[in-house]
Amino acid sequence: MTITKQLYLPPFTFSVTTDIPLVAANLQRLYAHAPQAESLLVDYPLRLERGAGLRRLFKPQARFFADTQEPFQPLQLQQGYAMLEWGMNWCIAAHEMQYVIIHSAVLAKGDKAILFPAPPGSGKSTLTAYLAFNGWRLLSDEMALILPFSNKVQPFVRPICLKNRSIALAKSWFPTGVFSSIATDTHKGDVVHLSPPAASWQGALQQAEIVAVVFPSYQADTNLDIYSLDQTQAFMQLARNAFNFGVIGQEGFATLTAIIEQVPAFEVQYNDLTAVAAFLEQEVLADAR
Amino acid sequence: MRASQLLLQLFRQPELALTLSADSWVQLIRLLRQQQQLARYAYLFRQAGVFTQLPQYARHHLRNAEIIADKQYRQVSAEAAELTQLLAPLQVKPVFLKGAAYALQQGLPAGIGRTFSDLDILVPKEKITAVEQRLSVFGFLPEPVSAYDQHYYRKWTHEIPPLRHHSRGTILDIHHNLIPPISGRAPDIRRFWQQLNLTADGYQVLSLPAMTLHSLIHLFFNEDFKKGFRDLTDLHLLFAGFSEQDWEQLLQLAEQTGFMFELMLACRYTSYLLATPIPAWVMQQTEQYQPSKLRLRLLDFIFLRLLSPQHTLLNTYLDQLAALLALIRGHWLKMPPQILFGHLSVKAFCAVRDALFGKHQFSPKRPG
Repeated sequence: MTITKQLYLPPFTFSVTTDIPLVAANLQRLYAHAPQAESLLVDYPLRLERGAGLRRLFKPQARFFADTQEPFQPLQLQQGYAMLEWGMNWCIAAHEMQYVIIHSAVLAKGDKAILFPAPPGSGKSTLTAYLAFNGWRLLSDEMALILPFSNKVQPFVRPICLKNRSIALAKSWFPTGVFSSIATDTHKGDVVHLSPPAASWQGALQQAEIVAVVFPSYQADTNLDIYSLDQTQAFMQLARNAFNFGVIGQEGFATLTAIIEQVPAFEVQYNDLTAVAAFLEQEVLADAR
Repeated sequence: MRASQLLLQLFRQPELALTLSADSWVQLIRLLRQQQQLARYAYLFRQAGVFTQLPQYARHHLRNAEIIADKQYRQVSAEAAELTQLLAPLQVKPVFLKGAAYALQQGLPAGIGRTFSDLDILVPKEKITAVEQRLSVFGFLPEPVSAYDQHYYRKWTHEIPPLRHHSRGTILDIHHNLIPPISGRAPDIRRFWQQLNLTADGYQVLSLPAMTLHSLIHLFFNEDFKKGFRDLTDLHLLFAGFSEQDWEQLLQLAEQTGFMFELMLACRYTSYLLATPIPAWVMQQTEQYQPSKLRLRLLDFIFLRLLSPQHTLLNTYLDQLAALLALIRGHWLKMPPQILFGHLSVKAFCAVRDALFGKHQFSPKRPG
């Protein structure tokens, strides 16, 4: 059976059509609290389909289409839902040029937001999940959408992508959390998506002001080390994590430079999430005007 | 009205965009995106002075595409500079073709908002191996293609398999002619080498009439019309900049190289679908090359459909039939029967194999 679900994920609207029951079930559960809209103009019509032919029976495949485009090679059927989430990211990264987009988590208390840009493997998503379930508002797990020439960040609330060992951790920390089925053996290893708490979904339309940039780096043997970064270091690291920096050019450069000039930047090496949260709340947010 | 008809009408009269409801933009944007025409329409709407009054939804998507196209417009001259410089020691000055050539000529309407996925250059056939070798040293490496495709390109076509820049990802198609020699219709390429222009920045391109002839040959020798509408709008924009003298040169070159039939098709369908202003004497002269009534009706059936904006999800059975006929026609034009038979056998085998085992299982992969 094929179902179509409209997803209003401000600032964008997707429609997802799928004939894969696992994908449909995950979608229903993880986006149950997504905002409702009066009238929807779909920005990105997506499809997630079972591969055709004998492959339907033997090692079945999932294929992702953004309208008529197929940007990825097929994956195993059990990875279909993760593929959809990555496909949604791809749509935004490939088409949206009116935000400065950074590969970064964004979390806020009230309207004060911190960017957590980081490469895969830095423990960013584990930190994101921890904060989101401990009083912070998740604006985004993967992509920070910054309004050009400002330090305002637009929420793009979506499930958090957890990998490998952090899956079991997260499941033990948040026993009531809404987790997707596990996609095993992907290019990132095993992955699971975790729906953020209702409060984050409710804030999906509420922009926030960037007050700090924190580069997280999980180190098994370090409790908590904090390094203050100078502006050049911070800018370079931020630019390295920018998706569309090369395309939007001057606008992106001016925006990132202004942010770095205005807000403090830290690198945080940690193995203790409680200590990181305490530092963020007691030092970073307290100092933010 | 079908969305595809509506887009044709908007091309002719962009100001009609102001009469559309927000809802109708959803399908239009979808069609334009598939046709890679978002940025070109953004340009049309701006020229007509209506862009800023469009609904937010439309402006959002048009503006996104415009930003991407602008970036490509800026970037193409950097790529052209590098290629020209890399090939200079071989005494080869490449001729930039198609999308890149339009964009390299500052202010040429066909270049504004025209996106392209690869860079096409023309070099002398006897230099092509040297060109390929030298470029590979500087990071343009062959894309993985199957052994059959490798053989097909090298033996029968007018180009070598595409190269890809290892870090920038630029795809480069190197041509020695404009259509496959195996078709028996490949022009004496020297005639085109006599029709060169330099852009303001010193890059080599074909003269406006020769560039236009290449554009229309390319369109009507195709077997796949997924980008047919884009190519038709290219022709419109190129024709729109023609002087009387350009028309004379175009007719002369088409005559000399044997492409009057294709020129007739180009004039017929641009004027019919896009209301392109074509001088009456040109229409008359090309109409002499019309085939019999029956054949013309068949061609109209195919091209009036396939050169209108297509979207796989909106296509009717008749559109699919037209696409099939075009596929057959395109192959027929490109290859004599005995070779076509072999080619289709291989492709049919691959299609059956993919249907059974899933797509991409056997596609050659990039290392690493």
